[in-house]
Amino acid sequence: MTIREFLSDRLGRLIFQTVFTLTAAVFLRLTGTEDGIILLLLLFLGFCWAGMQGYDFIRQRARLEELEAIMEGLDKKYLFAECIPKARGIYERRLAELSARAGRAMIGEVSDARAAQREYREYVESWVHEMKAPITAAGLICRKAAPDIRGKLAQELAQIEAHVERALFYARLESPEKDFLASRADLAEIVAQALNGHRVLLMQSGMKVETENLSQTVYTDSKWVSFMLGQLLQNAVRYRAVEPVLTISARQLGKQVRLTVHDNGIGIPSHELPRVFDRGFTGSNGRARGGATGMGLYLCRRLADCLEIELGITSEAGKGTTAVLTFPARSGYGEFSQESAESMEAEGEE
Amino acid sequence: MKQIMIIEDDCSTREELALLLKNEGYCPLPVMDFTDIRRLAEQERPDLILLDIGIPGRDGFSVCADLQKTMDVPVIFVTGRDSGLDEVRALSLGGDDYITKPYSVPVLLARIKSVLRRKAGASEPDMVVAGGLRLNLAKGTVSSAAGTAALTRNELRILACLMEHAGEIVSRADLIEVLWDSKIYIDDNTLSVNVTRLRGKLAELGLPELIKTRRGMGYQL
Repeated sequence: MTIREFLSDRLGRLIFQTVFTLTAAVFLRLTGTEDGIILLLLLFLGFCWAGMQGYDFIRQRARLEELEAIMEGLDKKYLFAECIPKARGIYERRLAELSARAGRAMIGEVSDARAAQREYREYVESWVHEMKAPITAAGLICRKAAPDIRGKLAQELAQIEAHVERALFYARLESPEKDFLASRADLAEIVAQALNGHRVLLMQSGMKVETENLSQTVYTDSKWVSFMLGQLLQNAVRYRAVEPVLTISARQLGKQVRLTVHDNGIGIPSHELPRVFDRGFTGSNGRARGGATGMGLYLCRRLADCLEIELGITSEAGKGTTAVLTFPARSGYGEFSQESAESMEAEGEE
Repeated sequence: MKQIMIIEDDCSTREELALLLKNEGYCPLPVMDFTDIRRLAEQERPDLILLDIGIPGRDGFSVCADLQKTMDVPVIFVTGRDSGLDEVRALSLGGDDYITKPYSVPVLLARIKSVLRRKAGASEPDMVVAGGLRLNLAKGTVSSAAGTAALTRNELRILACLMEHAGEIVSRADLIEVLWDSKIYIDDNTLSVNVTRLRGKLAELGLPELIKTRRGMGYQL
């Protein structure tokens, strides 16, 4: 608050007081008071008024600064009204009470919304787990069907499973810390999990899978990464060209591990590349082929952010798409033991 | 006949699983009443328990812990919950394997077989004997009366799978699925190539016609 703002705020009062004082001076003059005394009175009044305004200004500014500091320091800004020191004037006290009431109502709403969201998340999770039972049963029953029907049913079931899985991870994203379990994991295991989860899709699409150098240790949540890989596999199958080949390879980059998933599919037009991670973005390929949800890569990006994995996609239309996942450097203890083991091995070889 | 106890609350899965295991030559023991699983297990003495974590009443983890107190029975956890924590818990509680729903049938059967073999005797060497062949899984060699041949990883897994199902027809799709479970990602064409090579090696061992192609169905030893 500047002095100018302060004064312009009180402009009405200022004009009123000036007019009032001048009227009083004119009255005194008419009733025969000496000019000198009137001047003295005016000076005195003016001095008093300026002093009062100055005091008010300093006090108000200090108070505002105090409150702003409290606001700055608050993690949850909506708790502000609960945290301010008790006001002095009756007017300000009433205002503070009103804003505290508004704040409390807000907190109530927020916690209701949180509870609703948590309940919904829990419901989605249990729904997903319940869905697995009939999918399993259907898969088993499917064995008895004629081979051609069995294949088609298996494919449809795999589709259902993929959609259900996406719902689960979408729900989990709301509070990632609850499910996140970072541990030492073998990249080959994670890839195997993802490939196995999509075996029906991959086999029936005639996808040739090549893996290369996957025995790398990463520190991450293997379920999440396997889900992310699953989304990439589904895309590779959906946007495949003739004689589809999927190459999954890894290599060490300093302390990081880089996993590359490359397909020789139809690729993504370059002007659509920047938007592939957007929620609900399906692109021209997705629209042309149908069945795209625009959720897969969006979820991948969100999960990658939580896991601190760098996720990038490059593509050339007509040639194929490459997704690159760069896993963060290994954490302290594991890194030490791993490297010392490696250096010992190296020494042994020499 | 190996007895496999099925603890699963979903009725149709339980029935289908029982049927499937019966067809595979096991004796399934489907459990309907989950109140006293331990007593039931002690009575029936199964060779393996397939345990669903999400059974009503109490969770599968405590059931497993309970079972392991008095019996040395292998347990394979089956679950619809796909979370890392569950897997860690299941394996640390003495589960022998952990499979998430929905599972693939050939993979489930392969896991059951491997757990049963592991329990049958850890001291026993990893040998499969069928059709006049001895397959050494540890060394990756196959021998017959005529001699011994070294196999590649893919050939070894293919032959092991066929020998374990000696006499039965193994469909190409099932074969591929089981291989995938062992992290060998081969497609239909590569499978044909590998089987052809395998036949060549078996021919050198004096058994050229051992692996028969059943057109439209798969392979048979």
